[in-house]
Amino acid sequence: MNRRTLLALMAAASLTALLPGSVWAAGGVDVNAILNDPGAPVGGNPKGDVTIVAFFDYNCPYCKKAQPVIDEVVRTDGNIRLVYKDWPILTPASVKGAHMALAAGYQGKYEQAHAALMGIDGGRVSAEQMRAALKAAGIDMARLDADMDKNATTISDLVARTNAQAEALGLPGTPVFLIGPFMVPAALDLAGYRQVVSDARDRKKAGE
Amino acid sequence: MGRAIAVWVTGLLALVMATAALASGAPVPADVAFRLGVERTADGGVELIWQVRPGHYLYRDRIQVTDATGAPVPLALPAGIVHDDPNFGPTEILPTDIHARLEEKGAPGPLKVSFQGCAEAGICYPPVTRLLDPVTLALEKPVRGGLSPAATWSLPATSGPASTPAPGSSPFVLPETRTMAAEAAPASSSGGAHAAVPAFDMTASDVGDADDVAVESRLLASGDLMWTLAAFFGFGLLLALTPCVFPMIPILSGLIVRSGAGRGRGFVLSLAYVLAMAVAYGLLGVVAAWTGGNLQLALQTPAALGVMAAVFVVLALSSFGLFELQLPAALSARIDRATAGRGGSLSGAALMGFGSALVVGPCVTPPLAAALLHVAEGGDVVRGAGALFALGLGMGAPLLLIGVFGPALLPRAGRWLVPMRQLFGLVFLGVAIALIARVIPETAALVLWGVFALGAGLAVTAYDVALGRPRFSAALLPRVAGGAAVAGGVVALLLALPGPGAALRTAVLGDSELPAAGIIHTVTTDPEFEAALLTAQAAGRPVVVDFTAAWCTTCKDFERSVLTDDAIRARMADVTLVRADMTDYDAAAQALMKRFQVVGPPTLFLVDPVTATEIDGSRQVGPVTVESFARLLSKAGA
Repeated sequence: MNRRTLLALMAAASLTALLPGSVWAAGGVDVNAILNDPGAPVGGNPKGDVTIVAFFDYNCPYCKKAQPVIDEVVRTDGNIRLVYKDWPILTPASVKGAHMALAAGYQGKYEQAHAALMGIDGGRVSAEQMRAALKAAGIDMARLDADMDKNATTISDLVARTNAQAEALGLPGTPVFLIGPFMVPAALDLAGYRQVVSDARDRKKAGE
Repeated sequence: MGRAIAVWVTGLLALVMATAALASGAPVPADVAFRLGVERTADGGVELIWQVRPGHYLYRDRIQVTDATGAPVPLALPAGIVHDDPNFGPTEILPTDIHARLEEKGAPGPLKVSFQGCAEAGICYPPVTRLLDPVTLALEKPVRGGLSPAATWSLPATSGPASTPAPGSSPFVLPETRTMAAEAAPASSSGGAHAAVPAFDMTASDVGDADDVAVESRLLASGDLMWTLAAFFGFGLLLALTPCVFPMIPILSGLIVRSGAGRGRGFVLSLAYVLAMAVAYGLLGVVAAWTGGNLQLALQTPAALGVMAAVFVVLALSSFGLFELQLPAALSARIDRATAGRGGSLSGAALMGFGSALVVGPCVTPPLAAALLHVAEGGDVVRGAGALFALGLGMGAPLLLIGVFGPALLPRAGRWLVPMRQLFGLVFLGVAIALIARVIPETAALVLWGVFALGAGLAVTAYDVALGRPRFSAALLPRVAGGAAVAGGVVALLLALPGPGAALRTAVLGDSELPAAGIIHTVTTDPEFEAALLTAQAAGRPVVVDFTAAWCTTCKDFERSVLTDDAIRARMADVTLVRADMTDYDAAAQALMKRFQVVGPPTLFLVDPVTATEIDGSRQVGPVTVESFARLLSKAGA
């Protein structure tokens, strides 16, 4: 390699290196708070090397479409940490759904509740329908109500924090998946998500 | 050498793609995807109009209007397309523009209009709410926590989507474009019944355009990216014929000659130069998106143009040999060492290309302005940056010929080099005058051109005479050209004379003085604008607002050909024209532009003198023809 090539390579490399730098100079967004919020339920492999943060609403048809795909990606990969961010923005019933799902976490059944609510088809699900689905999934409804009352402030605070994070990131709607450093504001197919996960891993390796 | 090229090309292209991708590809915010406007119908009723961006749809049953008491107000929505998808349930959606008559008579205001929709790419938006005043037809965003159903929501509720932060401030980026291509697949499978959306339905106005800028804006907005890129490449080729590109020729030839390169190497050097130039333009497009188009305007202020003109004058003087432009000794020594005997430096060529693109930037007008305007207006930044990149490539394509044929045609050294430099010096002077002529009065520009033409003609003739008798007929050319230039210069100076000159000017150049028809106010600040509106209000006249600037050549065309048309003049007698002059791009001008969301001149629209707000659907951006202006006047009722 002669000096000229080296010069060219260094110039190109320094230019591309500038990019992540400017990207990470975030305007007031606490990445750590998004990835490691103590209240947000975590699924998949808690020690996974790639984190997927999912923002969703229980009345969002595209979220329901993407849900089984994301579940499949997480299940088959085995090395993904999945953070659930309940972000009820589409209808008032969504807020109730979010509260109920998070309350189910106190009896150790958040993921079952989440799956049950995502399994209800359509974008016009009522709170009653949601309750019925939760009951059918084996959630103890009496305990759910008690936990919801007792921890009402904690749950509300968590949802408010999620909302603030989403607004700070400028998320326009649901679903949005943060996969590693990438933001995917769309319902992709299986191959699509897998590609982004793989790119996220490459990016991570390049950064080390 | 092959590896170096590959690295450079990939590096530069990746830079443009990555920066463009950072700033684009994100879903648009809900209020951009669904633009709500209100119009008064001919019989005094109210019509709500949603401009639904292609690839998006509203839920028909989520569009609602309620009055101040909470009672629903009847709204005549068109039938939607029934969408029956297992994930969605049966829903009726409206994927195209919506015109709906509102029966608002007697309903106590303000009325609350709410609507909700999704993007076919696979994202759903929270509900959007707007407050409508039924008397003035003004639309507002509700104040946080106002009429939103905050009671049932335990969130710090917004009644609409959050405003997106400036691109680049989020720590999360969009993945590379190839993964985003997958999003089309699931979306299209979910709704085969969607009507085909017309590709050209992007702008608010229905401009009947035969003109370049409007066509280019449409091209930018419409479907086929490849076609857009090809078109802009073509425009770039056309631009290469203008003197704007000429300064690059001696720079590039000098580089190649100095390097002692052969034909192949010469081509590679000029390729690096042209690619870097195209990248510079591509980046300009991205920067324009981030700064909202103000970059182009800032570059056109008298101050910036003066600086650019001064740079060209310096270049010209250096070409005439008055002084030598020298890099610091250490740097030039290093460059010499690097280039000596190795056939030239690629990095050097690329740097030159990048730099010369920036220098020539303000010189290039309509296509660059169109692209930057569109990009700044929130159009697809990837498309805009790509189009500008193609434009740069087009402009540089002829320069590639220099790289190939230059080394053969241009001898290593010779007596001819000196007059060649001087000729280019003349060209630089011409460019400097062209730049500054945009902001000085017309007579002053004529004087400058006259002096320049006289001087240049005399110089060329004198030089040619000094060479001796022409040996062959083609050698007569410089003498003829010199004579013509002298004659042209004399004519220009005559035209610049006051008195008889003015009459001659009108005959030759057309009447650039505005016709006295109608009332015309020229304003530069917001208070002046308000005053002009008040006057129009008192007289009960419709108001046409025209954002213009001294350096805006298409605005001058508007004055020269549209406003002087007889039929237009007759109709203008009943109209008040308010011209907002943006030549000095100062804080007051910017405030006025921001108030009406004007990205740049020329921009025309109608204003309701009662509410002092723009009448939706009346805006025209870019060149205006007699027909489109006539239609605008009809809309104003003149």
